[in-house]
Parts: sequence; C-alpha cells; structure tokens
Amino acid sequence: MKVPMQWIRQYTDIPVSDEAFQDQMIMHGTGVEGLENQNDAVEHVVVGKILTVKEHENSDHLHVLTVDVGEEEPIQIVCGAPNVAEGALVPVAKVGAVLPGGVKIKKGKLRGVESCGMCCSGPEIGVPACLYPSVGDEGLLIFNEEYAPGTDVRPILGIDDTIVDFEILANRPDCLSVWGVAREAAATLRTAFKQPDIQVQTVPGKMEDYVHIQVQDNELCTRYCARIIKNVKIGPSPMWMRKALHAAGVRPINNIVDITNYVMLETGHPMHAFDLAKVKDGQIIVRRAFEGEKIVTLDGKERDLMPDMLMIADRTNATGIAGVMGGEESEITDETETVLFEIAAFDRTNIRLTTRALGLRTESSGRFERGVCAATCREAADRACQLVNMLGAGEVIDDVYDCYPNPKKPQTVEASAARINARIGMQIPAEEMADILKALHMQVTLSGDALSVVAPDYREDIENEADLSEEVLRMYGYEHITSTLLRGATAPGTRNEHMQLSDRVGRILAAKGLYEIRNFSFVSPKWVEKLGLDEHDARLKQLAIINPLGEDTSVMRTTLVPGMLNTIALNQNRNNAAAMLYEIAPVFDVSERKAGEQPHEKPMMCMGAYGEAVDFYTVRDIVVDLLAEFGVTVDVVPGAEPYHHPGRAAKLMAGDVCIASVAEVHPEVMAAFEMTRRTLIAEVDMEQLCKLHEKMGHVRSLPKFPAVTRDIALVMDDKQTVGSVMTCITKAGGSILENVEMFDIYRGTQLEAGKKSVAFSLAFRNPERTLSDDDVNPVMQKILKACEEDCGAALRL
Amino acid sequence: MEEQLRQIQEEADRQLAGVTDQAGLDALRLKLLGKKGELTLLRRSMGSLPAEERPRAGQMINAVCNDITEKMDALGAKIKKQEQAKKLERESIDVTEPRKHTPIGCQHPVSLVQDQILKVFTGMGFDVVEGPEVELDLFNFELLNLPKNHPARDAQDTFYIEDNIVLRTHTSPVQARTMTSRKPPIRIVCPGRVYRADEVDATHSPVFHQMEGLVIDEDVTMSDLKGTLDAFARELYGEDMRTRFRPSFFPFTEPSAEVDLTCVNCHGKGCRVCKGTGWIEVLGAGMVNPKVLDMCGIDSKKYRGFAFGMGLERLVMLRYGITDMRALYEGDVRFLSQFRED
Repeated sequence: MKVPMQWIRQYTDIPVSDEAFQDQMIMHGTGVEGLENQNDAVEHVVVGKILTVKEHENSDHLHVLTVDVGEEEPIQIVCGAPNVAEGALVPVAKVGAVLPGGVKIKKGKLRGVESCGMCCSGPEIGVPACLYPSVGDEGLLIFNEEYAPGTDVRPILGIDDTIVDFEILANRPDCLSVWGVAREAAATLRTAFKQPDIQVQTVPGKMEDYVHIQVQDNELCTRYCARIIKNVKIGPSPMWMRKALHAAGVRPINNIVDITNYVMLETGHPMHAFDLAKVKDGQIIVRRAFEGEKIVTLDGKERDLMPDMLMIADRTNATGIAGVMGGEESEITDETETVLFEIAAFDRTNIRLTTRALGLRTESSGRFERGVCAATCREAADRACQLVNMLGAGEVIDDVYDCYPNPKKPQTVEASAARINARIGMQIPAEEMADILKALHMQVTLSGDALSVVAPDYREDIENEADLSEEVLRMYGYEHITSTLLRGATAPGTRNEHMQLSDRVGRILAAKGLYEIRNFSFVSPKWVEKLGLDEHDARLKQLAIINPLGEDTSVMRTTLVPGMLNTIALNQNRNNAAAMLYEIAPVFDVSERKAGEQPHEKPMMCMGAYGEAVDFYTVRDIVVDLLAEFGVTVDVVPGAEPYHHPGRAAKLMAGDVCIASVAEVHPEVMAAFEMTRRTLIAEVDMEQLCKLHEKMGHVRSLPKFPAVTRDIALVMDDKQTVGSVMTCITKAGGSILENVEMFDIYRGTQLEAGKKSVAFSLAFRNPERTLSDDDVNPVMQKILKACEEDCGAALRL
Repeated sequence: MEEQLRQIQEEADRQLAGVTDQAGLDALRLKLLGKKGELTLLRRSMGSLPAEERPRAGQMINAVCNDITEKMDALGAKIKKQEQAKKLERESIDVTEPRKHTPIGCQHPVSLVQDQILKVFTGMGFDVVEGPEVELDLFNFELLNLPKNHPARDAQDTFYIEDNIVLRTHTSPVQARTMTSRKPPIRIVCPGRVYRADEVDATHSPVFHQMEGLVIDEDVTMSDLKGTLDAFARELYGEDMRTRFRPSFFPFTEPSAEVDLTCVNCHGKGCRVCKGTGWIEVLGAGMVNPKVLDMCGIDSKKYRGFAFGMGLERLVMLRYGITDMRALYEGDVRFLSQFRED
C-alpha cells in the first residue's frame, strides 16, 4: 500500500528522517517494502519562460527557442513540440537534469543548432494529464498559473513527496488506511495522533424524498450508511487531492469519484457513489441474488449470480455486487446532479466466496475480504461529506440513513502482566505495558498485576492475552528480547526410522558414485502412459490436483521412473558422457483409496544410470550390495516390467517379497522419453527395506583348518542361468561347501552351438578338522550329479 | 702351491673386478669353488703333500677361499641390489596418466543442508518427525488457526486434491499431528517437501523444502526461542552469527516474528546478497498461539510453546552461491557433481 508522507504528516508529526521512519516502522510491526522519493526521479527541471520562437533553418518542424530559466542569460533550446508560443511557461530540463527512467539531459546539437536543455511534456516528467490537467497528449506542458522562471517544477506539479510502500500484515486490515498507519506511526515514534476533526455543513432534507433504502440481510450487510449530496457540481478535484491520489497510485477522475477514493485510502472504508437520478424508482435494496439472476458489471461482463451472493438492487434488478463492483447504470457522469454515498460493512467470508466464485477481485472486495470495521462507517461517511464541503462539490443533506442493527459490543480482554512477561521472557513493568497499550488507543484499567483492556473497534485482531503480549512486545521493542537456553536436561534427539534409512541409503549410493536428484512430486499424467503398463496396473491410477499450474504438474506420481527417465534424457541431450543418479521419494498410491482419504505415501528409491563404465551388472551389484548392507540377501530372478528390456531385466527377491528390480530400459520407452543411450533403471521398495532391515549379529571366528578347493567347468545350455546352477551347487554341496565362485564363461567354436562352459571354483571346509579327498570326493559327485540332472550341466572334459 | 694359490687369488681378484651380473658371478664361483673348481681341486690335491705341510696348506687354502667367498658375496649383494633397481625402473608407470573411473557421488544439496541442520537440532534434543505430503485441511490449516475462508490462507496458494485434502503448504501440519498425538514436553523438528501454487522462476518453485521446529513445555518463553535460534545460527554458520527479530504475523503464533540472520555472505558488513543491510531473512517464528494449543488438545493454561520454520532452498542457495533455484530440480550431473559434504 502506497502512502505519501505528506498525507501521514496531516495526522501525526514525523520528527525523524524518511529512512529512520522506515526502520522504526519495520521494527515495531508495520512492514515497509520501500521508499520512493519522487524528487529523485526528476531533477533540475524548472519553470522556463519562452522568450522567442524561430523556425529551425534545417527542419520544417523544429523550432529554436530562447528560454528564460531564471539565470543571467536566457538559454537556447531546439524543440519539436507543436505548441510552442512566446510567453508560455513550460517545464525546462536544464543540462544535467534527470528525468524518469534515468534519462539525463546533455548539451547537444540538433541539425546543426546548439540546444542547451529540453522543454518537457507531462509524460516526460512523469506527470499524467489527470494530475496536472493542462498537459496535452502531444506537446509541451504549459503552466496555467504564473511562476517565476527558474522555480522548481516539482512542488507545482505535485511530484515532490516521499511515498512509503507499506506491507500490511493480514491481521491488521485497519492499517490499510492513512489513519491506520498514522496511528501506528504515532505509537511507534511516541508522537501524538491528531484525531481528524470532522464537521459537516448540511442543508435540510429528508432521506425519503430522495431514496428508499432497504437492507434485507443484516447478516451479510452488517451496516449500511448512506448520505445524499444535492446540487452536485462535477469538476476536477483540487491539486492537493489529485496529488495525494496520484502518489497513492490512484488515477484522479473528478471531484465526487476522487472523494470516494480519497476516503477509502484515508479511512480504509470502500465507498460507492450512485448517481441518484439513475437509481430506478429511488429504491436501493440490499438482498441476496435470485436463482439464475445475472448482472452486467462495470467492466462490461455479464455474470451469473448465486443465491449466496449479496446484491445491491433496485426493485427489479441487481445493479451491483455488494462490496465487489457496481453496476453500469448508476455511474457518476459529468451530468450527475444528486449523489448517494454508500459506506457499508459486509461479511468478509461472503465477499471472499463471491469473488472466488466470480473470479472478480477489486480494491473494494480485497478490503472487505480482509475486514472492514462496521463501527467506523459513519465517521467515514461524514469525512466524505466534509470533503464535499471543502471542495464545494455540492450540498450535503442533513438526514442520514444508517442501518446498524447489531453493533458489536466492545470486548474486554483480561490479562496478567506477569503472564505476559513470562510469555515474552521479559520484565516489563505493568505500568509500562499500560502506557504502551494506551498509546495504541486501547482503554486500560490497571489493578496491580491485572490489566483490563478494551481495544478500539477497528482492532478486531485483539482477542486474548497472547495478542496483548505481542502489542506490548512490539512497541517495547523486539530488539530487547533476551537469549536464554532451553531448560530441562534431555538426551540428543533421534531421527525417525525412515529418515535414518534413507539417509544411509543416500550415503552408500553416493559412495558408489551416484548423485541424488530431487524431482517434482507432481507430473504429467502422460508420463506414466509412456511406460506401456498393463491397463490394470495400479500405477495408472493417479491422484489429480484440482487446480494444477499446468498439465505437466497435474497428478501425483505413482512411480519415480518417468521423472528419472526425463532427467536421464536431459543429461543425454546435453551430451553429458555419463550419469548415475538416484532419487528417494514417496510415490502416491491411490489404488485402494476412497474419496476423502489420503493416499498411501510409499517411499521408493529409483536409480538411473548410463555411460561407458555402467552396464546391467554394475547396477545390479550396487543394488544387491546396498540391500546386503541392511542385512537383506536376495535372489536375482529374471523378470521384466513392461518398460524393461525383456532380456535384460531382473527382480530381486527377498524370499517371496520382490524388494527391487534392475533392468535396461526398453528401446521403445527410451524413444518415448527421447533418450539416446542405453540406460539402466533400478527401483527399491524402501517400505519393504525398512521392514526387512536386520541389524548385524555376532561375528564368525576365523577358520582354524584349511579349505580344499576344486575347480570345475560345466557345459550347459546358453539359456541356463548361472545363478540357477550356483543355487543347485550350493544345495547339493551341503554343510561342507563353504563358497562357490564363478570365474569364467566360455562360448565359442570348441563347443556345440547354443552352449556355454562355465567355470566355478568351489571351496570346502570343515571347521573341526582338515578335510581329505575322501571327504570331498563324494560331495563333488553329488554336486555334479545334481547339476547334470537339474540344470543339464555336464562336466566339461 | 703357495705360488699356485697366489696366482689363483690374483686371477680371481682380476676376474671379480670384471663381473657385472649374477650369471658372471655364478660362473666365476663355479670356476673357483665348484666341484671341479680350481680351489676345490687344489684342496683335493693337498693329500699328496707331506703330512706336516698339510695343516699350513689347509690354512692357506681356507684363507683364500674365505677371502674370495667374502668378496663374491659382497659383489653378489651389490649385483642383486642393482638388478632390483633395474627391475623397479622397468616397472615404473606414468602416475599422471588418467583412467576411466567412477568418482564418488553426493547427496542432493538440499539433503546436505537438511542433514547439517538436523544434526544441530538433534544435538539440542529435538526429535525428527515426518508427516504426509498429501494432507488433510484439518492439520494443514484448521488446527493452526487458519479457518476456512480466512484471508491469511491467501498467503499460501494451495493445491487442492479435494475440498478437504490439500498438498501441504508448509510442514506445520506435522506439528499439529504431533500435538494431537503426543503429550508435552514436545521438542521436535519436521523437515519435508511442501507445495505452493507458485510458477517456477529463479527464486520460486511450486515444490520446495521446509524445516519447522516446535517446543512445548510449561515454562517456555520467547527468550528461549531466541536462544534456540541463536544457538542454531552459531552452530551452523559460526560464532559471529546473530539473529534479529522483527514483528510479524502468523495465525499460529502470537507474538510472531520474522527472524533475520547475520548475512552469511558478508558476515554483517553489507553486500549484494543482503542488499547492504547485513541481515538476511531466513526464518519465521513465534510463541504458539494458545488457540492452536487448545484446538490440538493441549492445555494452554499449563503449557506454552514456540515454533519456527525456514525454507531450505534459500539456505542452500546462500550456502553454495546458487542464483537460480531451477538448477536444484533439473538434475544436470554437471551441477550435481560439484557438491560434497562439508
């Protein structure tokens, strides 16, 4: 909210610099986004009197002027404006001048003629026509009044103030006003707030002679205040008002409209002005919309209304949406003769729902949503009438319409100074607390430690002792908060199990050379479709966001794979030679979810890798080793997801539980994700890992007796997995077989086609004694027999 | 015989001087001391000497034998050393030659910073608690004094799944869940992913990370809050760190504060990062609103609490000098591979 300093100064003294003001306001609870000194945007621009005008010899539109800028000698300026005239007073930017947007004026030549400055239009010095009316669309700004040449133009044009951009907190709608920030400023700087002295000169008249107002819904319209202005003379408002509005970012229009805006900015009350002649039958009815009712709002749009919305209506039609936007018919025009000012208070939730439903937000609705104080409506209405008097804009009728059936009773908050001190960790005397609260216009009764406090009507945020503690603390100064350590001896805290697990997984993977990524949890619904899943696959059922930013972020992911593949594709498309990535995040399983329930958030780990040094086996072994770190041993079993290369895919089984999968990405899926290089993908079910995780047990003592090793080569069908043969050997080998290792595979001309020879090294050991050939030979026979029978693997001779 | 010995000795010395390798030495040893070696033969021929001469002859032969053996052993050791040196020389490699390998990876920068912060707070006795990301309106808003249609909800542009289910807009629902399920004293931090309907740009992301803390006990004060955050700042960024509290408003705390830290970039001198102020805004904090305690089933007459929250991305960006937040979510390995643990 932008407020010019001069406006605040009308209501309180500010005996400090602008910067100090800003700092103090921030430190005492009123945010300031920044200060804008209008003087900085325009420098060295003065009133100049055009003495002579000559045609430029090399141009058909340029003129050569001599201009008196209050210096000893007139200066020469080449000017292209059409409205140059001898004797005219215009703004002149002298050499060295600064104009809005950082433009600097230098001495120069225009078509061979020296020019020592620039005569300015309104827009060139940041002055729109609505601020200083003599500005033409094209051409120079010509002053209406007499000024001495050399006079600074800024005060004349109303661009000489500092504008404070306040950031008002959500609980302080009362500060969305000049009065509000002036009150805060006074309390902060310990200066006095000058209560506005509101006197209205009126002429006799009766409301009912002008209008009949009926408020049908006192819940949604808690107060409705109206005043009538007759014999209205529409015209521009005076410079001081235009300047204040312009500085606050509001476009001056005419005296009546400007008064409504000025009062809104000053008091925080949105106002509406009706041209009474255009109010049908002189009827204003405040009611809920009818079923199926429509309205054309001021912005020219037709809008469908709902019965929950509050309308301002005549006898037959809604003419405006209460607190949001007026209708076209009753707008103020140059012909307006009688005006009705409406200052009302509407239920903020209702206004909020209405603006949401209509997708229509205005300055007025924004204020009503945050809360407009019903108790101060009348004061604001009278302030508007006072301004009508001051501007001579019309005659105020003495009769007032004011429907306020349920005035809010002031609430007393009981508090204890000791408890407030305990809360904020300070020792502020009760008397000082009382003084602080009084400076904030609260009524305080102090009795020993007990404070009875009645906050002003506009402070609807003050409900309890905690609220008072904040008021006391912020005015006393947050900088005085001391620093103490928490009491109560405690052991160090612990991380929850899931976090410990995922942190450890992350460290292991990082040590293995992987980098962690963090993708968005919401994705495009199309991504998962690219995986070619079976139509009944639970992962196709995704939780949708009602109001997503876009399609690409519209559903909660059910698998980490598409995100990983996109990231891998990005790395490949940027020609990164290799990447090994992982992500640990929940997926959102809604396969068994009913409406109103949360999804099952299932933590998963996903790995993606490509590059010269990476193949299926690299990734498989990383995953197998990772699981082993948590005491989970797995069998590697061939098996593919639809997005896996069917011949290069495995499931990692911990007993009956599939805890992980490892595979090369299917070529079609690679194409769908625009990947260019063979990529490995692995997934680990972190929920299962958490369940199956076993702590390490006791160590085994080292063997005392030597092992006997036997190497064998077995010829088998190429399709026979090495893993199955190793399982077979292990089973047949019994208790003395300590270890089986594969050390070579041969495929080639010395074998039948479709066969391979696999060499294993077997280690036998008995912990109690040294083994002899007699011990090992029968076991070897048993092993070879089992391999032959179960796996079709025969000893290579 | 004496003459013969002298000649052998001289000849041996001459030949030893010419020996350069083990093979030469072995040949010489064979020639002199082998089965048919000169000295061996000479010793054998001693039998033909008169008995009284034998002892002296034996001594002389032994002396020569010993002398030659000594010299040959010394030379042998020398040759062995030389040959070892040659072998090592032959085996030397170019230690600067690059090889293809997989360097050590790293956790995500958000994980690194989160871990550092968690270490600080667990050290201060805070338990780490997590909660669901798809959250009930009840926990995300209502129990935190953000009733339906409250304008303060506007500050948190919310993604909705259903009327009463949202993507959590902060990690505060974990606090609400903890308060409704645990009895005080409570001392927790809750890190996690949160969601707000912000378009992606250099400083905004619709998915980001927060960490919040909550302490509830009988005698907790705003000074304890400041003390806790001071300790946190010092632990994380160094002894010269200070905090500055500014009044603010959050529906779930009263009083509320925005908390600035001494600028981690310039240590308070004023720089581009802190826009010359020496302070950076990183935390929101306050005393838990008694209404929130009551709604969560904790007696606000008996217990007080404080809460604080911070956005992790901002801390990550400050720590590593990252100017565009998007790099954190893009996953380009050239970016990720620059990180390592502190």
